Amino acid sequence: MARRSGRSALRTAAAAAATLTAATLAVAGCSSSGSSSSASSSGSHQVVHLTITDWDNGMQTVVNTWNKAHPDIQVQLIKPSGTGYTLYNKLITDNRAGTNPDISEVEYQALPEMVANKVIISLDKYLPGLAAKYSTAALDQVRFQGSVYGVPQNICPMVFFYRQDVFSKLGLKAPTTWDQYAADAAAIHQANPKQYLGNFDAADPEWFAGLAQQAGANWWTTSGDKWTVAIDDAATQKVAAYWQGLVNKGVISPEPSFSTQWNTDMNNGTMVGWVSAQWAPNQLPTIAPSTAGKWQAAALPAWTAGDQAVGTWGGEAEVVTANSKHPAQAAQFVQWMNSTTQGLNLLIKNVDAFPAATFAQALPALSSPPAFMSDQPDYYALMKTIAQNVRGFQIWGPNASVTFSSYSDAFASALQNHTSFAQALNKVQTTTVNDMQKSGFQVAG
Amino acid sequence: MAKRRPRLLPVLLVTPALVLLALFTIAPAGYALYLSLMKVRVSGGLLGTTTTQVFAGAGNYVATFTDPEFWHSLGRMLLVAVVGVPATVILATLFALCLDANRARLTTVTRLAIFLPYAVPGVIASLLWGFLYLPATSPIGGEVINYFGGRTIFFTVANVAVWGVVGFNTVVLYTALRALPRDTVEAAQIDGASEAQIALRIKLPLIAPAIAMISLFSVIGALQLFNEPTALRPLANAITSTWVPLMRVYSDAFVNNDIYGGAASAFTLLVMTVTATVLVRVLANQLTRRERG
Repeated sequence: MARRSGRSALRTAAAAAATLTAATLAVAGCSSSGSSSSASSSGSHQVVHLTITDWDNGMQTVVNTWNKAHPDIQVQLIKPSGTGYTLYNKLITDNRAGTNPDISEVEYQALPEMVANKVIISLDKYLPGLAAKYSTAALDQVRFQGSVYGVPQNICPMVFFYRQDVFSKLGLKAPTTWDQYAADAAAIHQANPKQYLGNFDAADPEWFAGLAQQAGANWWTTSGDKWTVAIDDAATQKVAAYWQGLVNKGVISPEPSFSTQWNTDMNNGTMVGWVSAQWAPNQLPTIAPSTAGKWQAAALPAWTAGDQAVGTWGGEAEVVTANSKHPAQAAQFVQWMNSTTQGLNLLIKNVDAFPAATFAQALPALSSPPAFMSDQPDYYALMKTIAQNVRGFQIWGPNASVTFSSYSDAFASALQNHTSFAQALNKVQTTTVNDMQKSGFQVAG
Repeated sequence: MAKRRPRLLPVLLVTPALVLLALFTIAPAGYALYLSLMKVRVSGGLLGTTTTQVFAGAGNYVATFTDPEFWHSLGRMLLVAVVGVPATVILATLFALCLDANRARLTTVTRLAIFLPYAVPGVIASLLWGFLYLPATSPIGGEVINYFGGRTIFFTVANVAVWGVVGFNTVVLYTALRALPRDTVEAAQIDGASEAQIALRIKLPLIAPAIAMISLFSVIGALQLFNEPTALRPLANAITSTWVPLMRVYSDAFVNNDIYGGAASAFTLLVMTVTATVLVRVLANQLTRRERG
């Protein structure tokens, strides 16, 4: 789940923005009382209207359930015109105009940037008991300088998906190391020159970041107010060199994930594997409907046999925006959705979310696999194991959007012009550091 | 009273145009100029939550001019223009002359057919063409020809743009042709000129001003290249987010969250567009004059 279906950045959203303005202007009165997290029921019986942007399929059911139980706080779901960075850039721009929705879905890697641009607010005073429900690792994704800025919804460890039928025909097993993955990729391409075990995704920087995390990279670290940026560190260089080798040998496709070409290849059996993440079963039915029942999930191949660390691709928190006129009520909704049994059961059933809240990973709703993986009854058990060994960066950069757009440009060019991935990586590093220095962030080194 | 009216009327007549120009062209351009001279400085801890807008002087312009990517994007735009502008002008002229030929039949239907692509929005046209180009879906040899290759990409993008605008330009030229005095053409016929000779020696020079005008529009259109490469971008690795100057402006302002740098590039581009427009006009005028003289 939680993935973009493309990166067409240009769908206009004037209509959505207009709706948002109308909705935020609609209700006055019921001002948040500050320390109380249930301000709605106090005093006047005016209904509070909230808006939420969320691109996940199945969210309407979640919102409807809340609205039925809370006549005082009515939430309206707005599908954003774009997902991922298309949405985050819009949130930053609209924040200046004061037209943001009350609540939004934001992936973890964009949170520091949202805080830096004052798009979202700290939830400390509205949700004081939140921390107890989450592991430190999950909390670290939303906590900056001691303040919590969002309620973690899910974690999305990277997972390897492969076509069981193709593998067994060739007598292959799911690769456990990257060396084996490379050998399998070559074997599959040799057996059928049209087939590929996977693709190198130059369009999605978070995919590459996840692979770098697994290798032990730490792109951003901080000490005090100082940043250290190490996007071209040894671990990341290792990952880049590995994939460059596969691309150069021609055993891996250079087509970006979710592109038209790749979707077609996934559906017609040309692409027989996908280095993806926990949410893939939510996307595969639309990407490759005619391959239903042929996929299996396995732990991501490791750099050294037995190392269980994986990175993440995606995963998001729900945040309350600085534009919201009813932050207390918004926080209340966000907490209900992401950290109560009722909310999380709805998310698991309707959105295929793998919850970040520790208690929720034992919910009975997780005992049956998502529909697309019905042949793999222990799907969620596997996810639970994998999720225990998630390795992340210390923090995501305050200008991660610059890093990511630079990644897409640099690696797409490297693929197009057959130039070195190492150089592309240096470019991403330089662009990121230059932009941080230009804005006035303290960057070490 | 009697004297005042003739003075007031001309002013009144141009007022709507001037007001609109001031409000929606000059004012935004002025604001862009202002923004391009500013920059943002963050302070206040790790995430820099305190931001102040400070004067940047020429800093943003220096950054634009010293960024090799700016010149590369300009170069790529020119390459598309070098392919696209002549193709548009030549095809439009050819179609218009054919339609205007004496022996042409079914001209109304044909004119409509040629014009039709102009009615298709650029983004949709790009997506349609994208599917025609992609190996997975291509009926026009995408399996064999790599339409997204290092060199082919310029033709690929130019083709979408040309396909979209040729019809409009054809109609402009055709209208110019229909407005020519018929006796000139008839005189040529009586003198024994062939259909081709009439087209090339009589009609073509006479519609030279119209051709100059569509050339000018095509050049301006090329400078504003954005829709086609942006819509084609997700399909392959060939097009980066800064592929042409306008994409770079968009990327700076709305992806990299640097509205100031974006404004500087936008303003630079504005100056370049105006300069190019003036240059093309002067050139076209001289050409026309020379042919008349």
